[in-house]
Amino acid sequence: MVAAMSNSAAVAASTWVTSFLERLPAPAGELEAVQWRGREALSRQPLPSRRQEDWRFTDLAPLTALAPAPASSSAQGSWPAPAADVFRLWLDDSDDLLNGQSLPAGLGLLSSDEVQQALGHTLAACNCEQHWPVELNQASATRVLALRVSGAVAPTLELVSQAAEDSVMRPVRVLLLLEEKASLEVLQIQLGSACSLSSLVMEAHLGRESTLRHGLLALGEGQACFLGHLAVEQEPRSHLESVWASHGWALSRFEPRVVQVDGEATTTLKALQVAGGQQVVDTHSRVEFRGPEGQLDQLHKAIADDRGRSVFNGAVKVPRAAQRTNASQLSRNLLLSNQARIDTKPELEIVADDVRCAHGATVSRLQTDELFYLQSRGLSAAVAAGLLKRGFCEEVLRALPAAAAAWRPLQRMLGEG
Amino acid sequence: MSSSTSVGDLVSQPYKYGFVTDIETDKIDKGLSEDVVRLISSKKDEPQFLLDFRLRAYQQWLRMEEPDWAALRHPPIDYQEMIYYAAPRQQEKKASLDEVDPKLLETFEKLGIPLSEQKRLSNVAVDAVFDSVSIATTYREKLAEHGVIFCSISEAVKDHPELIERYLGTVVPSNDNFFAALNSAVFSDGSFVFIPKGVKCPMELSTYFRINSGDTGQFERTLIVAEEGASVSYLEGCTAPMFDTNQLHAAVVELVALDDASIKYSTVQNWYAGDENGVGGIYNFVTKRGHCRGDRSHISWTQVETGSAITWKYPSCVLQGAHSVGEFYSVALTNNRQQADTGTKMVHVGPHTRSTIVSKGISAGHSSNSYRGLVQIGPKARGARNYSQCDSMLIGDQAAANTYPYIRSQQPEASVEHEASTCRISADQLFYLQSRGIGFEEAVSMMVSGFCRDVFNQLPMEFAAEADKLLALKLEGSVG
Repeated sequence: MVAAMSNSAAVAASTWVTSFLERLPAPAGELEAVQWRGREALSRQPLPSRRQEDWRFTDLAPLTALAPAPASSSAQGSWPAPAADVFRLWLDDSDDLLNGQSLPAGLGLLSSDEVQQALGHTLAACNCEQHWPVELNQASATRVLALRVSGAVAPTLELVSQAAEDSVMRPVRVLLLLEEKASLEVLQIQLGSACSLSSLVMEAHLGRESTLRHGLLALGEGQACFLGHLAVEQEPRSHLESVWASHGWALSRFEPRVVQVDGEATTTLKALQVAGGQQVVDTHSRVEFRGPEGQLDQLHKAIADDRGRSVFNGAVKVPRAAQRTNASQLSRNLLLSNQARIDTKPELEIVADDVRCAHGATVSRLQTDELFYLQSRGLSAAVAAGLLKRGFCEEVLRALPAAAAAWRPLQRMLGEG
Repeated sequence: MSSSTSVGDLVSQPYKYGFVTDIETDKIDKGLSEDVVRLISSKKDEPQFLLDFRLRAYQQWLRMEEPDWAALRHPPIDYQEMIYYAAPRQQEKKASLDEVDPKLLETFEKLGIPLSEQKRLSNVAVDAVFDSVSIATTYREKLAEHGVIFCSISEAVKDHPELIERYLGTVVPSNDNFFAALNSAVFSDGSFVFIPKGVKCPMELSTYFRINSGDTGQFERTLIVAEEGASVSYLEGCTAPMFDTNQLHAAVVELVALDDASIKYSTVQNWYAGDENGVGGIYNFVTKRGHCRGDRSHISWTQVETGSAITWKYPSCVLQGAHSVGEFYSVALTNNRQQADTGTKMVHVGPHTRSTIVSKGISAGHSSNSYRGLVQIGPKARGARNYSQCDSMLIGDQAAANTYPYIRSQQPEASVEHEASTCRISADQLFYLQSRGIGFEEAVSMMVSGFCRDVFNQLPMEFAAEADKLLALKLEGSVG
């Protein structure tokens, strides 16, 4: 019986991939070769199954319920106007990614030769170029936003992508090369609604002493699904701060992977994910230190309410070369309903002996003594709970680039419109 | 810091239990088939229900695959190249110890397990298992006065079949996992403990396992049942001779605690771990699980793992009764090429269940030591609490320490806390101790035993001292 069921599930999984591949237009454009490779890989590799350790807790049913195909976008939604110090790019499927604007000082497009050379390099370094969601993106993305960053870029680069119609897939591919001492702040906004699929693959190579502040705000609605992948290579003395927040997707899975190629870099990862309704939200992060004296500070927060499921898997690898690494990881989870579910799994693999590595995880509801305190000050139970949830979320949301405030993430996450 | 007194200069102490007892052994042919399962059952003269249990398990085993998710590497195990039953040749189990083959008694004397009761000073009853059979159980009469049954599982099958039928396989079902299925099909002996209602077991119970044959797998099965209000403390020890082949040890331990019962299960595991190049040693694939079936029941696992080439072991608690308590205290030490993937599962089913996990891993040499734990809070476990702490100590830059704690919660009124840290024997701490006139190796061993103190405090007293010494011994030559 069990065997029969898993067989039929396997058949369904491979049919989903086959019909997805059939819906794709013929490979063309600058990413033609990549598309061929991705399609070939997908045809050999059906949907990940829950028998694979990495996908054990992730139910892909919301994804298989969709029948997405890449399509050019219709009108943009009612977005907040960008602030003065924000340079916004709308990543739709049009030919001109810049929409006729000229890039701010310090940013330049890579030539197609450079793209050929650099694309996929960081994915390979992070050992995830054959990862299923990456192949899905590679099979379908026709454009890549490939930027070279030199010096300090003043405005915040805001990249907006939206998938708002049924059966639409929006594959976004970004490549950033930060030269020595360059610095950049990027805010990515992923919007999804209806029965759409958003796919993001971003690669960033951080040269020596460069700084990347990266924010990803993924706001979904309805049946929309999001699969995101971030691969970062850090050279010595570079700084990465990546903050991500996800809310409202039927299925959302984000996989940040960071490699400190020669150590001595600092990495800060912060995340907030909210699962309500019957949503599944999943983060699989992985940080690898390949040299000495690297630092990691990771905070992952999750709220599961209603019948939502939250999954976190945080791998930290400290091989022998990574002496004097200082890594800490904390997973804090709020479980607010009887039918919600939290799965959290830190994963530490350490071979060096002179390191400080600590991790912690907690799962609980709101603290009763904190609620009591607020109520004793005259707040109603609901207001008190709202206030505590707000505090829980803000710790992460405040770390997003300032431009994120215009998108009102906190209000959306707390359901305040 | 210069370590002129480096422990590395000391002669590494050999594994002192590595001798082989030369005794005539009754072995069956190697290989595993349904006939072998039937043969084992008939040699032990078992009732039909047990044969059916074995055959069902064998069929299930055939359909299962060896698990590969653990962070362990070993060449494939050929299950047909192994002998599934070996017994020292002697007559039926003896009425008195005087009739037991003196060579066997001598073996256990050498291991420091005196079976002759007049020599015993401490109040511990022992069941000694040699290869596939139990050869002696001490203090049985005295225990019987209190209604406590302590015997080998083979005897229990003959004398108390109703208890075996009621409890065997109820905690670890035969299809639980690959190695549990294998064990269920071919288990040869082990201990059975039954503590009746309201009885506090008057002495510590202990089983000592000895593998002697070079090509034999040991598949023992232990079943401990504590009825309402009963309590017992049970110790397990194990050694094996040195061979340059690997022997398989796939045991199953089941604990059942009814209302208000309490079981404390302690293990000091010292199988042969192979030599410094990883040749030989025991493959230890063990399934241990306790079931807190009754309200307010209590199961505590304490383990000190120092041996085995490979350890795959997750002593677990299923906390079903309301207000039941599960505990897991573990020290796992790996040196040379040893690999350990060990941890626990705490499955909270009933309301207000509580569990504590304290795991200390020490990795030295080229070894790898993983903690893998699961804390699962079911939807009905209102008010459940878990606290886990797992610390690793690394000695040398070739050893690996991995931590994989899984937490799954479906109950908002439960709270789960997990923390983990990694440290090493720091040069300044060593320097401080040495500046106070404490020798290098003594300083190392003080720091290691300080690191493990939370766990050693849980061990029965004689065991704690022994465990402390064992760790110091195993670490000799690895710091410096």
